[in-house]
Parts: sequence; C-alpha cells; structure tokens
Amino acid sequence: MVPLSSYLIVGAALFSIGVVGLYLNRKNVITILMCIELILLAVNINFVAFSHFLNDLGGQVFVFFVLTIAASEVAVGLAILTAFYRLRRSIDVQDINSLQG
Amino acid sequence: MSKIQFPFPFPEHLSIMVPEIFVAAMAMAVLLWSLFLPKEKHTITAWMGIATCAATIPLLLSQAGSIGLMTFYGFFILDPFAVFAKLLLVVATLVAMVLSIDYMRGEKHMPEYYAMMLFTLLGVMFMASATNFVMMYLGIELMALAVYVLVAYQREMLRSLEAALKYFILGSLSSGMMLYGMTFIYGITGQFDFEAIGIALQGVGEDGRFAMQLGMLFIIAGLAFKLSVAPFHMWTPDAYEGAPTPVTAFMSVVPKVAGFVLFIRFLVEALPVLQHDYVQVLTVLALLTMAVGNIAAIAQRNIKRMLAYSTIGHVGFVLLGLIAANADGYAGILTYMTIYLFMTMGAFAIIILMRRDGLEGELIEEYAGMSKVRPGYAFAMAVMMFSLAGIPFLGGFWAKYAVFIAAVESGHVVLALTALLFSAIGAFYYLRVVKYIYFDEAKHDFAFRSNSAVQVVVTVSTIMIIALGLFPGPLMEICHQALIGLV
Repeated sequence: MVPLSSYLIVGAALFSIGVVGLYLNRKNVITILMCIELILLAVNINFVAFSHFLNDLGGQVFVFFVLTIAASEVAVGLAILTAFYRLRRSIDVQDINSLQG
Repeated sequence: MSKIQFPFPFPEHLSIMVPEIFVAAMAMAVLLWSLFLPKEKHTITAWMGIATCAATIPLLLSQAGSIGLMTFYGFFILDPFAVFAKLLLVVATLVAMVLSIDYMRGEKHMPEYYAMMLFTLLGVMFMASATNFVMMYLGIELMALAVYVLVAYQREMLRSLEAALKYFILGSLSSGMMLYGMTFIYGITGQFDFEAIGIALQGVGEDGRFAMQLGMLFIIAGLAFKLSVAPFHMWTPDAYEGAPTPVTAFMSVVPKVAGFVLFIRFLVEALPVLQHDYVQVLTVLALLTMAVGNIAAIAQRNIKRMLAYSTIGHVGFVLLGLIAANADGYAGILTYMTIYLFMTMGAFAIIILMRRDGLEGELIEEYAGMSKVRPGYAFAMAVMMFSLAGIPFLGGFWAKYAVFIAAVESGHVVLALTALLFSAIGAFYYLRVVKYIYFDEAKHDFAFRSNSAVQVVVTVSTIMIIALGLFPGPLMEICHQALIGLV
C-alpha cells in the first residue's frame, strides 16, 4: 500500500515544477500554459489522495470542478494568445514588452 | 406515467438566490438577443445591462432583513453582510456600464462586452455569498475568466492583449496556489465548509499545525493576488494601463470589494484558530503593500498606472481592517469600500472624458491648466484626488479613519502609525495632479465631446464624496448593521 506521504510528495513536486517553470521560462507562452496545467494537476493529486485516505468523496468531487474550470481557463487563455499572435506575429515571452512592467 | 422523481432533493429556499438567477438569466439573454440585433442597434445591450443592474437593486433590498439563510446544501448564504456587499457590487457594475456606453461605441462585438460584465457581476455575487471552498473557487473563477476577456477587449490594440495575457498568467497561478492551499485544509479537516473547517481545526493538535499554516499561507497568497497585495501585485499596473478605461474602473472596484468580503468571511468562519498566525502574515503584507503602492506611484507619468499603484496603496490600508480582526475593522472595510467606489469611479470618469481623437488623456501632464478651461471638471478631479489622499473632511478621510481607529483599538498602534506615514507620502502624488490642474499652463484646449452619461457619474460621485465627508455617520452605522450574524 502506497502511503499518503508519497502522493503528497508527487503533488508537491508537480506543483514546484509548475511554479518554477512559470518563472524561469523565457521562451514560449504555451509552456506557461502547460506549467499552469501542472499546478492544477498537483492540486488534483492532493485532493484525490486526501479523499481516499479520509474516506470522503468530497475531494474527488472537487477534482471534477477543477478539471472543468481548468479547461475553460485554457480556452480563454488560448483565445487571448491567438489574438496576441495576430498582432505581434510571435508568442515569445520576450515579446510581451510594450507595457513597462 | 409515473411522476418524475428527482434523484436528489431540489434545493430549499431557492428564493434567496433570486438576484443571482436574475443576473444569470439576463447575462445570457443579452448574449443571445444581440445575435438578432442589427449592428447599429448594439447600444441597446448597454441599456439592457444597466437595466439589469438597476432592477437587481430592489431585489437585493428586499432581502436586507434576512439573517443566515442557506441554500444549495449550505453552499450559499444570505446575510446582511452579503446583501450589503452585493449592493456595492451592483452599483459599481452599473456605474462601469454607464461609463462604457460612449467609450465602447463602435467597438466590435460590443454586446458580449456587457454580457461579460454581467457574468463578472454574477461571479462576484457568488463570492459574496460563498460559505464553501467549492463556491469560493467557482465564484472567483467566474469573475476572473470574464475579467480576462474584458481586459482583452480592444483586440486591435497590442497593449490591451498584452495586459490580458499578463493578468491571465498570474491570475491562473494565483488560483492554482489557492487551490493547493485548500487541499491541505481539506486534508486535515475533511471539510470544505468554512464553519465546519473552523470547528474541525480546533481539534487539530501540534502535529497538524504545520499543514494548517501551509494551507492558510497558500490561500492567503491566492487571495492576495486577486486583491493586488504586494508582493503579488506585479500584474496590476500593466493590466490597469492596458485595459480599456471603463474596464480599469470596473476592475479596480468590483473584484476588490468581492475579494475583501470573501476574505473576511473566510478568516472569521474558518480560521479563528489561526488568528494569531494570519494577523502576523497580513501585517507583513500590509506594510509591503502600502510601501510599494505609495512609493512607486510617485514615479508614474501615466495616470491610469498611477491610479493602479494608488489602488495597491489603498488595499494595503484596508488590510488594517483585517488585521484588527474585530467588528470595527470589518465595518471599517465596508465603509472604505463604499467610499472608495465613488472616488475611483469619479476619477476614472474624468479620465474617460479626456479621451478624444489624438489624445488618450492618460498622461498626467495632459491635465495641466484644466481649471482655466473646464473649472467644473477640474473641481471634481481635485475633489477625487483630495479624497483619495485622505484630506479631511472628504469621504476618503473617513474611510481611512474608520479602518485606522479599528487598528489602533485592537492594539496595532505602530502599524497604524506607519500606515498614516505612508498615506502622507501618498498624498504627494495626488496633490501633484491637483497642482497640474490648477497651477500650470494649459497645453491644449480641453475641447472634449460632451458626454451626458459620464457627466452624471462625475456629478454624482463628487456629491457623494462631499456628502459622505460631511455626514459619514449614517454610512458607518449601516456598515456596522451589515455585520449582524457574522461577527
């Protein structure tokens, strides 16, 4: 039997890879979307693991909400990205620079 | 034929959701109806949106007396606190829509713009009534997804899309962090309901304390992103500058009000056990936020960017109310948000008026000499700036006063005095705008189009700021009343 801590370590690893990838990534916005997806997957693993070990279905139900919203979030994100590409002809992170930030 | 049996009992007390159901129905109606409208009649959707907001106000007022009603199996609560917050949110949306009518005229896909505003309103109304992690997450995401689209609305302008992209990336990250925090709280307690979490956390021993604090930190970080609390504020200036100005006005009020309301409910119901810890975290965040907001604003030349940092500074001040962690503090937050709504909307209304061909009206220098040509607007802008700076006796002074006193009385004297110091620094850049308006030579003729809808907003906000400055008592009383059943 795999203990709870193993699941949590996988979750924490995925979460960290997502966050670090988001900050270190200097190339492509699509990679950023993938990093966000990783973060949400880490959340889902945690929820399912806790749900199993607590014998409570609530966590697994929450996962469905997270999955659904993650899908719509990516839909909005990609829509903004395609509109951006039409104007800028590039989706490189370095090219997102017209605002002083 | 046998009767249809629902597999689950239909939610009781569905009537307490009437305002939300109405807004949801109207948002979809606007979206669908616009398909059958000829292009030149698209402005009708703006009036539909405004009518929806206006009609929601009496619906909400009729609910004002209800205390602690629940529906959807305890996911959704109706109490005076939620009603008050929703009234603010509806009024803010209404004002933002009025500001949009002229600005968005001629813009492609205009009807969807108003539908998106109504969807945002729906999201924030759910946030105001959320008593559960699921509802909290759904409300925040409904709001956020609609606001991303609104920020990106001027699709032929690079800065609008860029702002949306930055906002989207950091917003998604913040949702992820908040969810990750929720998993830990769920892992310890097995609950999603705020009150049930509050009870379950009391029984958690020392070994669970670390996970509890970790969960708390991540959730606070997630909410801090939405409220543009430093160090999670990076998206704010860019999103504010890039978004169409009415959207900037909208997003500087609506998500902040809803975020604070949700924050208060979450801290009060779910985390009383961790009060000592979250007060420490929030103290650090408040100091950072006030420092960043008030100092960085000085360097700005673009007035939208300056107001973005001003928002950050104000949010830092409002955090004092959460740190006070008592009824006075929370009532102070509601007072602050009410007055802040009028100040911000008034200031952005004048920025919108300034826009005409070949002039965005966004550089602070463009306001030079306004008083000689347009004394009325110059006066209104000066009132907004003085009020934002917290000069007595305008509305903004009482907003700060309410929160400040609550912080002092709960023993955070040093923090409150530091906040006062930062406000004094902040007054500099507000007064600089007034200096440009009154003491500099005009560089252009201020011949902007007259726009009666925006003029109404300017007038009403100015009157409200002066009136609330002279008679703040009734508002503060109402804000205290709104906390019945919560604290």
